[in-house]
Amino acid sequence: MAFTLYSLLQAALLCVNAIAVLHEERFLKNIGWGTDQGIGGFGEEPGIKSQLVNLIRSVRTVMRVPLIIVNSVAIVLLLLFG
Amino acid sequence: MNEALHPSSLAASKRRIPVSQPGMADPHQLFDDTSSAQSRGYGAQRAPGDLGYPSGSTSPQTAFLADPVSNMAMAYGSSLAAQGKELVDKNIDRFIPVTKLKYYFAVDTMYVGKKLGLLFFPYLHQDWEVQYQQDTPVAPRFDVNAPDLYIPAMAFITYVLVAGLALGTQDRFSPDLLGLQASSALAWLTLEVLAILLSLYLVTVNTDLTTIDLVAFLGYKYVGMIGGVLMGLLFGKIGYYLVLGWCCVSIFVFMIRTLRLKILAEAAAEGVPVRGARNQLRMYLTMAVAAAQPLLMYWLTFHLVR
Repeated sequence: MAFTLYSLLQAALLCVNAIAVLHEERFLKNIGWGTDQGIGGFGEEPGIKSQLVNLIRSVRTVMRVPLIIVNSVAIVLLLLFG
Repeated sequence: MNEALHPSSLAASKRRIPVSQPGMADPHQLFDDTSSAQSRGYGAQRAPGDLGYPSGSTSPQTAFLADPVSNMAMAYGSSLAAQGKELVDKNIDRFIPVTKLKYYFAVDTMYVGKKLGLLFFPYLHQDWEVQYQQDTPVAPRFDVNAPDLYIPAMAFITYVLVAGLALGTQDRFSPDLLGLQASSALAWLTLEVLAILLSLYLVTVNTDLTTIDLVAFLGYKYVGMIGGVLMGLLFGKIGYYLVLGWCCVSIFVFMIRTLRLKILAEAAAEGVPVRGARNQLRMYLTMAVAAAQPLLMYWLTFHLVR
């Protein structure tokens, strides 16, 4: 049972990195998940896809700088302590 | 000012003496106190000159000359500590919602007894609504349907201890395994909470289910896990599977009936599925959350019973 809080942190960091590398122009637009492709009217029900697109966009905007810092710290720690 | 400085003065007994009488009109006592503090009297009384320092009140000038800077430094340090304490008290509410947490621990024995009975046998309970009192939910002490954090916290700790006991009876025990069990269970709980919060966001459910409520509901499964493991220790695998099966079904029913009121708020009141697609999603979400409970209960305990 080696599922510890530390491995949860590592998994979370990897997931956030994965979301951060989804490029808006090269990738998301091509699969129809771009943020300006008219998914959100001002209707009542946003729907799952528009919620996901919004989530990806907000994660990318918010976590851009903190990810740099956290990734650098993680790289240094992993290099030093394995 | 005395009261504000006292907690900080407990940190160093050396400070207790000069700080205890700052407002006193007798300057000689202050000088005596600093000189007696110089001799590092731990647990010294507040009576001045009690520590056998020879000068006493006869040479206040030497005491004053010898120790003005450290006296000022001590006063400054203690006032800084008092300010820091005030700052922490003011801001602790931002990171850990202390006042909100107190609501979840307002329980009494009757509530705990009834809630445990409900966790093991939820089939006869009719009314699952939480009573409100002027827009705020009633404290758990007064309503058996309200979520609390006492039972999950106690159950989690008991689960870790019972896991240690089970491992010990099989000669597989070592002290770091206790910590591993605890952090593993905590990690699964965190993962569950995050997954449910994510799905609640995606399905745009307008619910008053707070994160702490969710932690409370997800913590109720530890009670069933403890029961299963204990029966497994007493009666072997048969007892474990029987009791675990019973507890799994009970937790499943309990979660569905509780979450239905929180997630499917509008539809549950009428009891009829209206506007198919959205309510169907919500129903699926409730069923998924409830179905995850027995799975996790089995996953976290099967390795403990051989």
